Formats: sequence, structure tokens, C-alpha cells
Amino acid sequence: MKHLIGLSATRTNAPTAIIAVVALLLLAGIGIIVQNEAAYRELQGQEVRVQAEILAESVEAALDFGDAQAAQGAVEAIRVNRQVRTVGVYDAAGALVAGYGRDGDAPPPTRDVPYASTRGAVASIVPVESGSERIGSVFLAADPEPLSSRLTRYLVMALLVLMAVLVIIVLGIGQNALRRANRELEERAEALVGANAELKVQIAERARAEDQLRQAQKLQALGQLTGGIAHDFNNLLTVIQGSADMLRRPGIEEAKRMRFAEAIAQAASRAAALTGQLLAFARRQPLQPEVLDVNALIRGMIDLFDRTLGERISVITDLASTACAVEADRAQLESALLNIAVNARDAMPEGGTLKIATESRPDGESGRMVAIAVTDSGEGMDAETLARAIEPFFTTKSTGKGTGLGLSQVYGFATQSGGDVRIDSAPGKGTTVTLLLPCSRASASAQEEDQGARFQAKRTGRVLLVEDNDEVGEFAHSLLSEIGHHVEWVRSGEEALELIESRDFDVVFSDVVMPGMSGLELAEALRRLRPGLPVILTTGYSDEIAATGAGGRPVILKPYRLENLAAAIDQALDGREKE
Amino acid sequence: MKAAFIPKFARYVEWPAPVRPAERDPFELCVIGHDPYGSLLDRAAAREAIEGREIVVRRLRTAEGAASCHLAFVHGASPPETGRLLVALRGLPILTITDSRAGPVRGMIHFTTVGGRVRFFIDDAVAAERGLSISSRLLALALGVRQRRS
Repeated sequence: MKHLIGLSATRTNAPTAIIAVVALLLLAGIGIIVQNEAAYRELQGQEVRVQAEILAESVEAALDFGDAQAAQGAVEAIRVNRQVRTVGVYDAAGALVAGYGRDGDAPPPTRDVPYASTRGAVASIVPVESGSERIGSVFLAADPEPLSSRLTRYLVMALLVLMAVLVIIVLGIGQNALRRANRELEERAEALVGANAELKVQIAERARAEDQLRQAQKLQALGQLTGGIAHDFNNLLTVIQGSADMLRRPGIEEAKRMRFAEAIAQAASRAAALTGQLLAFARRQPLQPEVLDVNALIRGMIDLFDRTLGERISVITDLASTACAVEADRAQLESALLNIAVNARDAMPEGGTLKIATESRPDGESGRMVAIAVTDSGEGMDAETLARAIEPFFTTKSTGKGTGLGLSQVYGFATQSGGDVRIDSAPGKGTTVTLLLPCSRASASAQEEDQGARFQAKRTGRVLLVEDNDEVGEFAHSLLSEIGHHVEWVRSGEEALELIESRDFDVVFSDVVMPGMSGLELAEALRRLRPGLPVILTTGYSDEIAATGAGGRPVILKPYRLENLAAAIDQALDGREKE
Repeated sequence: MKAAFIPKFARYVEWPAPVRPAERDPFELCVIGHDPYGSLLDRAAAREAIEGREIVVRRLRTAEGAASCHLAFVHGASPPETGRLLVALRGLPILTITDSRAGPVRGMIHFTTVGGRVRFFIDDAVAAERGLSISSRLLALALGVRQRRS
């Protein structure tokens, strides 16, 4: 603010200073001219006097000897000087001896008659002396320098002054303009700084608002998730709890006992599928890709679809024989298709048709692909819902009816398998969800056969179990012992390496996530120590496996079923035997 | 008129240093031969003072004793007489003055009358031979000048 006041003060002073300088210059110019004029007058007076003295000297002898002719001769010599107007030479008595006048002018007839000066002529009278005697006098009158030439001289000076004045005025105006521009610039800069500050505040406010919104969304999502999962889990837990209660009753029939046990196993398996979905959505589910014939897989699921969708929905298929095999996790692919089907069912509360079609897509950016299109004849989605359909926790179902994870799981699985998901829908036009998966180079049937052969083998061997969790360890130990293996159980990777030094094993079954050495590290150490020893890994989920894979080793996911574990152990023993 | 002129010549002539009168010493104006002016010349000489020096007039019959003269008006009874007097003064640094009325023989300054006015000729060549220097201002007034050999 102080700065501004200082600025405005200088602004008012600037023109005053310029006017003062200009006035000073003009005054100085006038002063110089006046002084010059006075000096010139004096100088001219002196000049006239000197000229008269020179003439007096040259006519001395002529006067001395009374030679008027000679005096006139001397006077004539002066005629050359156009400025000399009148010359008169007088003798001792004061009578005119010689002289001349220009332009009608004439020297005074005698020395004592005063000269009537015309047009500002400068006159001078000097005595002519011979020795100490005054023998006459000389009169000389000269025109001053013509006014025009003097004016010319002064004009030059005036012009110089004028130019100086102009320069000063121009400089002043220029500086003024510059100052004004500077001030404007400064004001603009200040305005800019202000605007910037305001913008920063707004940005901060916006960031805060966004944070709050994100937090609110997170809370909302958490609420939906909790609601959905709790609902599903409660249903399953009700089945498990009820069945367990029934099993505890004494004197229960064998058939009933088996039914309840089966119900518990089924509920647990569905719960596992649920957590599997959660992990797939979070992409923390390690996939177990295998080569699959998509058409065969879909045909095998028809019964499941029928049961899941109810009588009011008819399922039709349109499977292209050209559809290639894919390399994908069977359980996840089934889960994805089931999720899409369940969504379709919910979109058709009054019933309808569900069409499952496969199609071979020509080579695109990501190579050849197979498209599995699931189309319903339901209500369809508007653009807004469509845009958010894949978003995790987004659901149009009421709280407790769905997790909002279905399509999210589909998307997670598809992208993790190198494919993609497309959804086409419009209100009233039904919905088509297309799952795109890359074709596999291997053939599917051989793999299927191989798998079938593996399950037939049944061997026993020495198993080293590495598991830090007591309950899981106990369970696995009893399972493995039950199917006839010799089991040694240690609780860490370090202990396992120690034991292997002194004892021989046919296979190692290790948990991945353990304090200290992880299952993967143990497997790597064993690969160097006992290259031929097979290692089977097990995990609920593991970042490491999801990120880097298990290095080609078989992985059994928790919770695992007896037959899965048995098959994996058998396969490992089988491979070892073949070597 | 001529009597008034004669003493004035001293003002326009420079004598060589040895014969120039010392400070306060007067100039000697000699009238050699016949004196046509008498007291007129005395009065005229008395009016003049050259750089503080007076002019004294001496009258001589012959050239004898003329060695100390600075100016000499030579006026013989006849032109040959005037000529002889001038010859006698030859070799002396004296400004010789003659008048046409005394004959055609000329000294360094030779008076004549033109249209009723007194004028003079100047023989600068002879003056230079004798070591005399005549002012140009005086030369400018002369009717004619015999130029010195430069």
C-alpha cells in the first residue's frame, strides 16, 4: 500500500518537473541571447573604435602635411567594409578634411556637430595626434550586424533550445507512459497473485470435499459389502449350524447323518466360493489355469444353470464348433458364468430366455479369442447403470440381496486371464454380457485325459508337512495319515530344511505364508538342495504367488477338499516314480 | 608652409643608432646656404617635439660643421651651388631637403608646388644608402618616390 502511495506521488510530480526543466531551458536560452546581444554591442563598439584608431594612424601624416587627397585615399580604403556607414576626418580646427557616407548618410560637417545616429549605427570619434599635439580627429560610424543575420544566429540557438525542450518532453512522456504501464503490470500481477491464492484455496477445498466424498463412498461400499456378505454367510452358517446340531442328536439314522454332513460340506464349499469371489475381485486370487474346452464346460453347466435360474427361465445355447480352447482357471470361469447368469435371472423376474453363445473372434490386437456371450431378455440397463455395472460394490439390488461383486469378479477374472468383458444393454432391450478370452495353443482334450488318468493313481509315500497354524496342521496331518501317507509335521521352513538333512521324503507339502522363511523361499532352497524332490504349496491367498506365480509348482487353495489334496500328492508321487 | 613642414619630417624618419640623438638631446635642423624662411622656421621647430626631443635650428654657410646635423635644408645660391653642397654632405646620415625654387637638384625630400599646394618628392634609394628609414606614411604623401633597391 505504501508502495502505491509513493507511486502516485511521483506521478503527480513528473509533469511539474518536466515543465520546470522546460521553463528553465527557455529562460536560459533567452538569457543567453540577451547576454549575447549585449556582448555583441560592446564588441561592435570596440571594433568601430579600433577601426577609427587605425584610420587615425593612417591619416596622421596626411593631416600633418595638410594633404586632404591622401586623407581621402585612406578613407576610401575603408569603403571595402560594407558595414562602415560613414567616415569623417577632421583637422585640428574641426573642419572636415575627407570622408564619405553610404546610402545617403554623411559625416557631420564639422567635428562639433553631433552625429544623428540612424538605424542603431555604432559611432566613435578618436583624436589624431602627432607627438603630443592633437592635429585632428576621425569619426567612424558602422551598422550593427544586420538583424537578419543576428536573428539567424539566434534562430539556431532557439532551435537548439527547442530541440532540447522537445527531447525532454518526449523523454518525460515516454517515462510517464512507462510508469503507467509498469503500474498496470504491477496491478495485474497483484490481481493474478490474488486469483492464484483464491484458486489454491478452492483447490484445497475441492480436494477436501473429494476426500470426504471418497470416504463416504468407501463407507457406503463397506456397508453394502458387509450387508451382502453377512447375508450370504449367515445363510450358509445357518445350514452348517443346523446340520451340526442335527448331527449331535443321538440315535440318528445313517442316511440322515450322511445328508447333514453333505449339507455342511456343500455350505462350506459355497462359502469358499464366496471368499474366492472376494479375492478374485481384489485380484489376489492365484489362478490355476488349465486348458479348457469352452463348449464342453458350458454344456457341463447347463444343469447347474437350470437349477439356479428356476423354471420360468429357459436356457438355450448356441455353441460354435470353431470356438477354440482357452487357458483359464476352471472354477473362476464357472463362477464368472454363474454370476452373469444370476444377474440375468434378477433382470427377468417375470421369466424369459437366457441364451449362451460361443463364437470365435478373428485375430485382433491380443491375438485370436473366443467370445462367450450371455444374453437375457430382461429389462436392460440405462446408460448410467451400464457405466457403473463393473464397479465393485455397485448393485441395483437391495441391501442384503447381493454383494455388488458379481460383474466385478467377472471383470477381474477376465483381465487376469488376458481377456476382457463387454456389456451391451438398453432399457427394455435386454442385456448381453460378452466374456472375451484368448485362445490357447495347447489342445484341451489331451489335458482332460491326462487329468483323468492322474486321479486314478493311488500311492503312499513319505510326506513332509510344513504348516505354522496348529489347527490347519493338525487337520492336514490327520487327512494325509488317513489316506495312508507317512507324515512328518514341522512348523517352519527352517525346521523343514534341518529335518531334510537327516531324513528322506518323497514329497513336501508346505504353507506359503509363514513367519520367517516363506513356502516359496523353502521351495527355492529345496530346488538347490534336493532337485528331484516335489514341492506342493498351499495358501488362502498370497500376494507373492499372485504376482510371480509358484514357479511351476502345484498350488492347492485353502480351504481344500480331501480329494484335491490326495490327487495332488498322488500326482507328485507319480512324477517322482517315473523319474 | 614649407617652413612648417620641414621640422615635421623628423617624426617620419628613423636615423641609424649611432647618430640618433641620445635621450633628451635635441634634433639638429641645419639650414645650409641661403635661408629663405628666417624666424618662420624657428617657430615651426619650436612647436615640434619628437618623442620628448626638441628641434634646434643651426644655420651654416657651407657644409663644414654639418656632421652633427640630423636634417639639412640645402639651399645654394644657384642650382650648381646646391649641387655642390649636397655632394659635400654625401656620406653623412643626414636627411637632405631641397626646394624646386632653388633648382632641379634634389635632396632626399624635394619640395614643389602643385596647384598652389606644397607637395614633395622622396628619394628613398639615397636615404637607404645613408642608413635612413623613411616612414611609409610619409612615402604615401609624396608626389613620387624613387624606390630603394631591395
